[in-house]
Amino acid sequence: MIKSIGILLIAAAILWIEVPPLLEKKYKKELLVFSILLAIGVGLSITLGFEKPIPNPLDLLTIIFKPLDDVISHLLK
Amino acid sequence: MIRDVKINSYQFLVLVILFTIGTSILTVPSALATDAKQDAWLAAIFGTGIGLLVIWLFITIALWFPNLTYVQLLEKLFGKWVGKAFSALFVLMSLIYASELLYYFGLFLNIHMMPSTPMVVLSILLAGVMVMGVRLGLETFARTAEILIVVFFVIFFILVAFISPEMKFENIQPVYEMGTKKIVQSSIFYVVVSSVDAVVLLMIFPSFINKMKQVKKSFLLGNLIGGIVIIVITFLSVSVFGVEKTAGEIYPSYELTKRINIGNFVQRIEGLMASLWVITLYFKTTLYFYASVLGMAQILNLKDYRPLTLPLGMIAVVLSLVIYPNVMYQQHWDSTTGNSLTLSIGLFLPLLMVVVYAIRKRTKKKEIEINE
Repeated sequence: MIKSIGILLIAAAILWIEVPPLLEKKYKKELLVFSILLAIGVGLSITLGFEKPIPNPLDLLTIIFKPLDDVISHLLK
Repeated sequence: MIRDVKINSYQFLVLVILFTIGTSILTVPSALATDAKQDAWLAAIFGTGIGLLVIWLFITIALWFPNLTYVQLLEKLFGKWVGKAFSALFVLMSLIYASELLYYFGLFLNIHMMPSTPMVVLSILLAGVMVMGVRLGLETFARTAEILIVVFFVIFFILVAFISPEMKFENIQPVYEMGTKKIVQSSIFYVVVSSVDAVVLLMIFPSFINKMKQVKKSFLLGNLIGGIVIIVITFLSVSVFGVEKTAGEIYPSYELTKRINIGNFVQRIEGLMASLWVITLYFKTTLYFYASVLGMAQILNLKDYRPLTLPLGMIAVVLSLVIYPNVMYQQHWDSTTGNSLTLSIGLFLPLLMVVVYAIRKRTKKKEIEINE
C-alpha cells in the first residue's frame, strides 16, 4: 500500500512539473503521448509494488529472434 | 527547439570513447577469455579492427543525409510505415539497453559495495541522473563528458601503472594457439557490445555536430581509443590472473584492482575502478536513453522530446527490475538473443539501407535520363 502511495506521489510530482508548460504552449499531441506513457509507467510500477509478476518483454524478443539466433550460433561453431 | 543543439567534434570524440568503453571495461575480459583462452587480448585487437569497419559503414550511411538522424533516415529510405516500424524496433532496443545498463549498475553495486541496499534504490539513483542529463540536453552532458574524460584517463593510467608489476607472461603463453578462426569468432561478442551498439550514436551523428569534416575522423578515432583501453584491460586481466580465473569472474577487471599492492601501502583501491566504470556506464546509459527518447519523439513527430523523459525514465526503472530474473538468464540472453537483436538493428539494417539506397539512386537516375 505504502509503495503505491509513493508511486502515485511521484506521478503527481511529474504531472506538476510537466503539464503546465505543455498546456501553456498548447502542445496537445505531446500531452497525449506523455499521459499514455505516464499511465503505463504508473501501472507497471504499482503492479510491481504489489509483487505481481509482469510479463518479461525479453521472452517475446527471444521467440521473435529464435531463427536468426540459430543461424548465428551455427555460424559461430 | 531540438534543432539548435550543436556539439563540436572534440565533444563527440569524448562521447564515442566513453560509449565504446561503456560496460565493456568490466564484462568483456571474461567473455573473451571464455572462448579465446590466453589469446583473449588478440581477440580484443581483432574485435577493434572489425569494429572500425562497422563504424566506417555507419559513417558512410550517415553522410548521405547529413541533417537527418537515424530514425528520420529510416523513414526517408523505407517510406513512412516500414520506416516507422524499423524505428520503433530501434527505439525499443535502445530503451531495453538503457534499462539493461541500469540493471548492471544496480547489480554491481549491490554485489560489491552496498549489499544491504535494495537494487531498486540504486536503479532509481542512476535513472534520476540519466533523466536529468537528457532533460538538460545533449550540449550539457557533452560538456560533462569533456570534464570527466580527464578524470577517467588519469585514474586509468594510475591503475595500469600500479597493476603492471603483477603481470606474468607465462599466463599468456602460448601465443596464438587458438588460430585465427576461433579468435575472430570469440571477438564477435565484443564487436557487438562496443561497435555495433554505436548505432545509437547515429541519433546525434552527424545532425547535431557543427563541423562535418573532422567529425568523421573523431568517430573512428574515438572507437580506436576505446578499443585500446579494452585491449589493455583484457591483456592485464589475462596476464595477471591466467585464463581460468578471468573466465570464471563476472567482473575480472574489478578483481584485478584488488590485487594492487605497492609496498604494503597502496592497497584495495578497487573503488577507483568502480568509479571509472560508473563514469563510462553513465554516459552509455544516457546515450541509449537519449536515443530512445529522441527517436520516439521523432517517430510521433513531436515538437519537443523533454516531456517524454520522466515517464520513460519510470518505465526504464521498472524494466530494469523485470527484464533479468537472475544473472544466469542475463548471461544467456546477452550471448544469444541480445546479439541477434543488436546485429539485426545495427548491422543488417544498415546493410539493407545500403542496398535500398543504391537501388533508389539507380531508378532515380533512369527517370532523369528518360525525362531528358
